[in-house]
Amino acid sequence: MSDVTAPPAVLHLDGVSKSFGSNRAVRGVSLSIQSGQVIGLIGENGAGKSTLLKILSGNYRHDEGTIAVNGQAVQFRGPADALRAGIGVVHQEQSLFTNLTIAENIEVNTPIGRGGVNRLGLYNWRRLYADAAKALDLIGSHLDPKTRVSDLSFVDRQMVEIARAIRVSAASHTTPLVILDEPTAILERTETAILEREISKLRDIGSVIFVSHRLDEVMRICDRVVVMRDGELIADRPVDDVTEDELFRLMVGRETHAALRSRRGIEPESSPIISTHDLSRAGEYTDVSINAYPGRVLAILGTSGSGRESVARAIFGAEGFDSGSFSIAGYSGRHLSIKKAVALGVGYVPAERKTEGMVGEMPADQNITLTHPGSAALGPFELPHRRRSLARMWFEKLDIRPREPEHMLQDFSGGNQQKVVLAKWLNSTHLKALVLDHPLRGLDPGAAETVNAQIRSACDDGAAIILIPDTIDEALNIADDIVVMRDGRISGVFDLGHDNPATLDLLERML
Amino acid sequence: MVNKVLSEQGAGGITTTAIRIRESGIERRARFRSLAEPLSLLVALAVLIGVFSLLNERFLTASNVQNILTQSAIPLIVAVGATLVILLGSIDLSVEGVMGATGMTWILLSANSRGGVDLGPWAWVIALGVALLLGVASGLIFTALKVPSFIVTLGMWYVGLGIATMLYGTDLLPRLEDEGLKGWTSRISLGLPNSFWVALLVIGLGILVLRSTRIGRVTLAIGNSETIVRSAGLPAFRVKVAVFAIAAVLSGLGGILATVQLDIGSPTVGSGVLFIVIPAVVIGGTHLSGGKGGILRTVLGVFLLTILNNGLILSGVESSYQSAVTGAILVAAIVFAAWSQRDRLRVAK
Repeated sequence: MSDVTAPPAVLHLDGVSKSFGSNRAVRGVSLSIQSGQVIGLIGENGAGKSTLLKILSGNYRHDEGTIAVNGQAVQFRGPADALRAGIGVVHQEQSLFTNLTIAENIEVNTPIGRGGVNRLGLYNWRRLYADAAKALDLIGSHLDPKTRVSDLSFVDRQMVEIARAIRVSAASHTTPLVILDEPTAILERTETAILEREISKLRDIGSVIFVSHRLDEVMRICDRVVVMRDGELIADRPVDDVTEDELFRLMVGRETHAALRSRRGIEPESSPIISTHDLSRAGEYTDVSINAYPGRVLAILGTSGSGRESVARAIFGAEGFDSGSFSIAGYSGRHLSIKKAVALGVGYVPAERKTEGMVGEMPADQNITLTHPGSAALGPFELPHRRRSLARMWFEKLDIRPREPEHMLQDFSGGNQQKVVLAKWLNSTHLKALVLDHPLRGLDPGAAETVNAQIRSACDDGAAIILIPDTIDEALNIADDIVVMRDGRISGVFDLGHDNPATLDLLERML
Repeated sequence: MVNKVLSEQGAGGITTTAIRIRESGIERRARFRSLAEPLSLLVALAVLIGVFSLLNERFLTASNVQNILTQSAIPLIVAVGATLVILLGSIDLSVEGVMGATGMTWILLSANSRGGVDLGPWAWVIALGVALLLGVASGLIFTALKVPSFIVTLGMWYVGLGIATMLYGTDLLPRLEDEGLKGWTSRISLGLPNSFWVALLVIGLGILVLRSTRIGRVTLAIGNSETIVRSAGLPAFRVKVAVFAIAAVLSGLGGILATVQLDIGSPTVGSGVLFIVIPAVVIGGTHLSGGKGGILRTVLGVFLLTILNNGLILSGVESSYQSAVTGAILVAAIVFAAWSQRDRLRVAK
């Protein structure tokens, strides 16, 4: 493809393969990246993207094929080798020391004696701050290197990771290749816009591999898109020659069927399952009154400071409120505990899946029956064989893969974990309402579709859904009602049965 | 559609607003944190001093203040090491055993009533060497064999006590003979007790190590996430062993000073120190899970507890009640100190 006279590719892969036992995770991947290019890498969970990235970052060694950086064949023995070659990876799970300063995090890979730390291990803070500021400046960030990482928002932490990734190659004047593994998966829309701008700046100093599940983003940011499926690289296209639908088909192997939902207004005689009246919590939200009706999805939009997550947690009893009142399925009172909310038939899918939504060191089937044992229970006991068949049913229904309910939940991929978390609540015999905090966070489009389908089906069975969506599009796609919050107050209420708010309209009320 | 909006008018308007909001949030949080936590400790300290000085007029006299400083010196020295260990996310329970073994080694190698050798300064070196060995042993077992530090150092506590008891044997009490050393710890130089000067030196060195050396910074990093430390290629193993060694040497130093203060060698010379040191670190606000906290906060914690003990005695609380009162106040103080760190879902482990 490339011209004979062109400079050598920043990265060139030829027939790279990697197997784990009999499982060939990556099969014969060939790829070439030029300086200044932004490549989108997409694929479903389990398509081999992560394995490929780990080979590039030096965490895994490939079995076959060759890797060349700037025309030189390389063999990485560890992450340090990859860094030295100019490849910096920003992982999905952030790897920053939150209790240390930005500067220390950026300089962590700088060899001793070459930066702000001398050979005796003594710190020269002035040098350390200056070096870090230089790396931040290179990517156009003006964060103060003395700030502690725990005080940063997610998107700022992402910038620190990028600065760290380019730090080593910036010091040795080689062209950096930055690999961003789903950097936008859990960002709010405005934050994504900031990050996108920063990524386009990286174009001037090096090249980027951008891994994402959001196809619209890939189309907007990247020059080329490569698609992985079942360990193979099945397509490599310039973005101008491809459409989002086509990418979805390539990735998942089937057509999209995201039919728009037909919507009706709120039935005059129906009464809300969940309603809050002037709910307030100091520093989070003020006078929030919302009504969630049976069979309807209520989406709450807002930026990260809007207090919408806090409202959702209050409805589930996970966080208190200072004043106001609520009514859930006919019960109203001044205080709500999680126990009471669950007894009333409310389910909650938290944004922090790993820490609040699941017990990773417990088999998937036990996670499903954890809160509502349903038919697995016999009095106070739980019958293992009934639990297993119950779990098998949910695994089929939600297409949870692999179909091994007795495996530890932490060994499943993110999308499948989320389906198990959802099944835990759907297993309730008296589900009245579901509170979903970023349910699609980090899910690939295939998994997102399954989760959405289940949300709709629970909704059609008469449950009320309160949804904190990742994006405005997600809200417009699935919601019947939209409430917009800004700085802790409601700034707009739309019944999509009657209203047809434009995206810009919603966005203006958010900011 | 959203994105078009953002890219058309966004670069100037919307995104900069977002950035501004974010930055003001960062400043607010940072300012609040740096003030609020030590401030509440200082307030508690002031209240305690106020109450005790009202209860007893002897409390705020120069001699009692010097008394308090002498009493706090040894816990302070030991607590500097304990803070480092707790910042790792580990714990060192061997303090009292190491103090006993070091103190006994030192007095038997110095001029004492049993006779024997008098090695002078070499007694210090050898005694602290014993502490170092115990610390390195704890550190290596903990790090290389991946045994919880809680259990390793609990065992090492008794190993230390055992060594001290063997050295003590069945002979007469070894008494300190050197007249220059007798009472040295509470003697006043430049207005402060000698042992407190040593404590100040140790605190200063400790702060330097924690703030500006690789050992200190990697300690904090390990407390935050050892997985990230390892994947970043930082020397986690060496730092962990080093921190346990430093802590043991400081315990040893405390043991020698305690022996000097007591005038006689005793295997249980460190008795009661652990009960001040660990709560002091926690009350100071250093997280038991590691990564967050500092030495100055621990210093405040030690003062709080020493003043509490001293004040209770002066206020005439009967000694039979005293340990119950101290314990209860301790629990209350820890609840108070941990209040701001509660989890959103109120989970505590």
